[in-house]
This record gives sequence, C-alpha cells and structure tokens, in this order.
Amino acid sequence: MTEFHEFMVAILRSGTPLVYVTMAGVIAQRAGVWHLGLEGVMIIGACATILGIVLTGSFPAAIAIACVLCVAASVLLWFVIEKLGANPIIAGLGLTGLGIGGTALAVQALFGSLAAVTAPFGVPRLGEAFGSYGALSIFVLMMPFVVWGMWVLLRRTRFGLRLAAAGEHPLAARSVGTDPGRTRLIALASGGVLCAIGGAELAAGGLTIFAQNMTAGRGFMSFAAVIFGAGHPIAAAFAAMFFSLVGVAGIRLQLLFGASIPHDVLLSLPYLATILGVWISGRMRGGAKAATEASELRDY
Amino acid sequence: MVGQNGAGKTTFARVAAGLVRPDAGSLDIDGRPLRLGRVAGARAAGVELVHQSFALPPSFTVAEALEFGAGGGIGLYGRRQLLRRCRERLAALDLDVDPRRRIRDLPVEAQQGVEIARALVTDAKLLILDEPTAVLPPSGIEALFERIRGLRRHGVTVILILHKIREVLAVADTVSVLRGGRLVAGPIPREGADEAGIAQMIIGGAEVASADGDDTAALVGARQVGSAGARGTREEPPPAAREAVLSLASVSTAKEPEEPALDRVSLSVAPGEIVGVAGVQGNGQRTLVKTIAGLADAVDGDIRLGGSRANRASPAQRRALGLRVIPFERNSEGLSLTSALWENWSVRELMRRPLLSLVDPAALRRQCDKSLKAWGVHYAHAAQNAGALSGGNAQKVILAREIDADARLIIAAQPARGLDIGATAFVWSALREAAGRGCGVLLISSDLDELFDISDRLVVMLSGGIAGTFAPPYDLAAVGRAMTGASA
Repeated sequence: MTEFHEFMVAILRSGTPLVYVTMAGVIAQRAGVWHLGLEGVMIIGACATILGIVLTGSFPAAIAIACVLCVAASVLLWFVIEKLGANPIIAGLGLTGLGIGGTALAVQALFGSLAAVTAPFGVPRLGEAFGSYGALSIFVLMMPFVVWGMWVLLRRTRFGLRLAAAGEHPLAARSVGTDPGRTRLIALASGGVLCAIGGAELAAGGLTIFAQNMTAGRGFMSFAAVIFGAGHPIAAAFAAMFFSLVGVAGIRLQLLFGASIPHDVLLSLPYLATILGVWISGRMRGGAKAATEASELRDY
Repeated sequence: MVGQNGAGKTTFARVAAGLVRPDAGSLDIDGRPLRLGRVAGARAAGVELVHQSFALPPSFTVAEALEFGAGGGIGLYGRRQLLRRCRERLAALDLDVDPRRRIRDLPVEAQQGVEIARALVTDAKLLILDEPTAVLPPSGIEALFERIRGLRRHGVTVILILHKIREVLAVADTVSVLRGGRLVAGPIPREGADEAGIAQMIIGGAEVASADGDDTAALVGARQVGSAGARGTREEPPPAAREAVLSLASVSTAKEPEEPALDRVSLSVAPGEIVGVAGVQGNGQRTLVKTIAGLADAVDGDIRLGGSRANRASPAQRRALGLRVIPFERNSEGLSLTSALWENWSVRELMRRPLLSLVDPAALRRQCDKSLKAWGVHYAHAAQNAGALSGGNAQKVILAREIDADARLIIAAQPARGLDIGATAFVWSALREAAGRGCGVLLISSDLDELFDISDRLVVMLSGGIAGTFAPPYDLAAVGRAMTGASA
C-alpha cells in the first residue's frame, strides 16, 4: 500500500507543475495564441520563486515576485505578437530562449556562479493531516480547483465564449464589441500567473532548488497536453497527468530493469508518450488539417 | 441600399455598426449622436450588423453562438438554462434549429437565421443585413424576405444591402443607391422607383459600353433574363456530331474536405458551347472543378478531354489537351500575390516544358507584357507583385494566361465574383469570344442572373450529383426547385 502511495505522490509532484502550465496554454490556445513560450515563462517562475525566497526570506513575497515577472514576460509576448505583428510561434520560441538564458544570467549576476541555487524552504506543505500525502505542497491541493475553475470560466461563462470567439473568428468577436487583442492580453497575462505557480511548484514544491534549464522541456510537454486535450481544460489536465504518469513509471522501470535496458530509453519515455499522444489526438481530429484550419481562421 | 461591387455598401454597414471608424462626419441614431468606431456603443444604441459571410465561430453550438453576443459581464450560465433561453429566442423568430448543433454543420440558410437571431438578442432597433441573398437559393430568399417583413411588423428597422434591383423592389419600402462611395440617390420610395432609372444610377455613365441590353439587366438584376429565348448572337448551334471537348461519364470521387464527393456525374461540353453549372455553394462544384483539373481523383467513371481518356492525366497533360482553368479563388488559387506578374503569367509556358529545361526570364517578360497589353490589364510593369492589382485587373491577368489560342475547354469558376460591373461585362464577353472561336466553356456560378444570361445550357448540382439539366428559356422556379431538391 505504501508503494502505491509513493507512486501517487511522485505522479502528483511531477504532474502538478505541468497541469498549471497546461492551463496557461489552454487559455492562450482558446484565445487564438499557440503559446510556445510556456517553457520560458515557466522557468522564469521557477527561478523567481527560489531567488525570491533566498532574497526576501518570505514565500508570499517570492510568489508575488514570480507572478509579476511571469505576467510581464507574457505581456511582452503579447506586445510582440499583437502590436509588432510577429509570428506567434517564433515569438513564443524566442520567449523560451529569453527565459532559459535570462534566468541563467540572473543567477550568474546575483551569485557569481552558474551553480544551482538552494533555498532554505519552499512552498508550504499540506502537513500531517494528509498522511502519506502530507509532504506535497498546497499547490497540489489547489490544482483540481484551478482546473475546474478554468473549465467553468471557459465553458460556462459568456466571457469564455467571447474569448473563444476572439481566437476562432476575430471578426465575430469584434462584431459583438469584444476587442480580440485585449482578450488575448487578458488570456496571456492570466496564463502568466498560472505559469508562475507551475514554475514555483517545480522548483519549490518538492525540492527547494533552482538549476539552469531545470524545466527541461516541461513547457513544451504542457503545450503538447493542450493539443492532446483539444484545448479543453479538463482533457488537457488529464493529458498532462498522463505524461507525468509515464515519466514516473519510466523511473520505476529503471529501478526494476535498469540493468537490462539502457536508461536513456526509459528516460525518454515521457517524451515518446508526448509524441504518441499528439499523434493519436491528431488522428482522432482529422490529421494536421484541423490544426492548420484553426490558424487560417485568424486572418480577417 | 443598392450599388455594384466596390460601391461602398459594406463599408457603410461597418461604419454604422462601429467596426470602421470614419475619418469625418457624424452618425445619429434616434436623433442622438453615436461615438464613432465603437461596436459596443453602436450595439447599445440598438444597431446590429449581419455580415455577408457570417461572423459566427464555426465550432460554437447554436446556443453558444446566441449567448456570446449577449450583453452583461462575465455571464455565468448553466447548460439547461442556456438551452431554454436559446429555444425561446429561436421560437420567437420561427427558427427550427436544434440549439445543440454546431454552426459549421448547419446549412447556410440556418446559419443566416442563427446570425439574425444573434443580432436580435439585444433587442436591436436597427438591423443591417449585408448582401443576405447572395448565399440563398430562390426559395430561401423568399423565406428571408418573409422574416424581414415580420421584423418590420415588430418595429425593427431593417437596412438591406443588395445588388439586385428585383430583390429590392420585392421587399423594401425605400431604396438608396451608392456608387463609388457616394450616395447617388435616395431614399426613393418604392412606389416612385423604376427599374431602368435605378439601373442607370447603379451603373453610372458609359462604363459598360460592351454590354448589351440583356447583359445590363443581368448585371444589376433588374429582371430575369434568358426567358426571351436563347441568345441569337451565335451563328449556328454547335453541331452535335462534333466530338465533345469534355465529357464526364458517371464520375464519382472520394469525399473532399468540406465538399461533397461527386456522385455519378455525367456531363459533356461541345465545342463552342457555354454550359452553366448552377447550385447552392457547397454542393460539389469545387470537387467538380478539382476533378476536371486533375487535382482530385475520380474513383469511378470516365473523364474524356477532347476524346482521349484523361482519368490518370496530370494537370500538365490535361493542359496540353487544351484544358484551361479559371479557379474559384482568384487570390489564392489563381495567382500568387507575392510573385511578379510575369512569373504568374509564365506558368502557362513553363507547364509545357520539362522540369529541367532552361528558361529565359527576359523573353518570358516580353511575352507577358505583350499578352497583358492585349488584354488591357492596367499595370505599371511586369515585375510588380500580382497582389498590387485590383480584383478586375487580377482576373484579367488570369484570363490572359488561361485563354490562349490552344485552349479547347475553359473551366470558369465564379469568374466575375467580387468584380465591378465593367469588369464583369469584360469577363463575360471574353468567355463568349472564346466560345465563338470554338472553345467549350464550363461556367460555375452561384449567380443565376449570370448563368441565365450567358449559358447555352444549364446543369444544376445538388449534393455532388446533377439534379437537372435545363435549356433556354430558363424557368427560374424549376431551376430553384432543382437547386434545393424540392420535388416539382
């Protein structure tokens, strides 16, 4: 039984950051932005949380700093896409580069070395009352509510419909008095907050450490979960948890079969699962055509 | 509100709805000035616009499409509550649509109905419909007019933007005419309006020198032409003994995205004959063109071009057999807007050569210059981008490329769509001239006036099949029934 609990704890711990970042991707996707900057915003959140704890000694202050920086990065992305007319995919990849390089530079500038930064404490834990799950952070407990809230917002409010209209058919949104550009700003900025939480959970949820490039493609995996889940919050959250499950299973298998299978193969399992997942979801929705159509509709 | 393409009708509608901010002037609704260029302000004052190509997100359900335009803040709703509200609104308009269906799955008439319902969600006082009849079959147009009369009884003011005088006189109380962005006349009460006078106001001066009386009537939709018998301009009817330039025998295809597959289509075009293809958009016309052009495979049946079987022929081979195509989408299929004019034009020369043969750009440019001048294209130089040309000129570039001495069969898909009256008349006369030289012409159009005016024969497509063949004099009611599949 403890074996099972350990397994669940590992899945929740590695899956929660993915789910938060996936929610940021979902809201951006529905507003019509293919958000490939998730990786960059997430690592800024991770770095800002650890540095914030080290510098201020307070977790709330640290998460506030992370949120502000992540929102700023997201607004920058919006500005480049919407006001400067850049290709969203290229701009997103650029933001990812900025995040990975910028956080390394920040660590170097503040501590004079590129070594990992360790904080004295991390995100508050759930505590004794939760038994085997007590070591998890409060963000894990918050996660299902955030997913549910995102579902209500996107699928059960007029605001959500207008956001989707802005993404799918900007002229339709403009015809009912919604400014598609401003709607995308709201979507990207609120996605910034979610990425900040995701990054904080990654760096300070289980560990309390920030290392260079520590997101290691999790932002892209979240984006894959958005596509896998067809932009639906709950489906995308399950997709993210599925990727996490494959990752944890890979590590377990490594412990069992480490001697007979090269560990690189096992470590690459989550990435292979991502590719497989996106391929399957693509097949279910009529191949690449569905994806290109979504972007065609942006022109008006 | 009437006027030809490019007269400023849509711009007028968008200014009124707040989508376009005018440079100067003011706009009063109910005697109160409106803040310009703000959709929210226009909607609060009761102005709603129904777009020409509808503005509803295709993935939304009918209920969602009605809800997303409603006023108010965040607007939390429950599923059941949403469906109930939606059913009430649809019932008020006598619309029979399932609120759970998605917009993209609805036929155009239902989409238009939903868009009108969407516009009325906020109790609009002024409803603007931008060319609502362009997508409808004749029976749908009558139903739409009935709906508009109902709205008028409920006190809604309706501005209808149309380009056919006949339709205006059937429904409107007054008519205003726009030309070249100016209000030429109006509002004229319907009782005092005469067709000939309005037609003259729409066209303006001597712009259409080449068009004859029937053409003019067809261009402005003043009356149904083609009922006075076949056009007597051609010397003799094409002899049936001569071999058809195109014959399809029971051709079927696989399903194309968003278009029905061809279903046992049999069709033939004789030399010198103009065959019209009528039908509501999306009934397989695009698949038909793709199949003849060699861009879609026929899974069954026989395609013959000038007598030789061409089922497996490549587009280049078909071109060598005399096939020329004026495609549906001028700006995406007909031309590469980011390429030079001579590059666009030279495709016709390059398709004839082997892949690795050398080309002489200077010679091609000279030939292109000569050809474009002969067709009267207005352009600065052959190296300019095709995207810089107006719609009419761009279409002339395509005509110059496609209609050459070797053409045996010309597929013209919506060749006059979006063109002004002068350019439309030019396209028609070019097609007639080609037919006069012995080319077969297959003209696909959704404009019955155009088809009735210039076709020697008319076939109607419905759900990928041929629903009827008609010869002049055309009977509008019978063609309309074939288009909608209603039994006679």
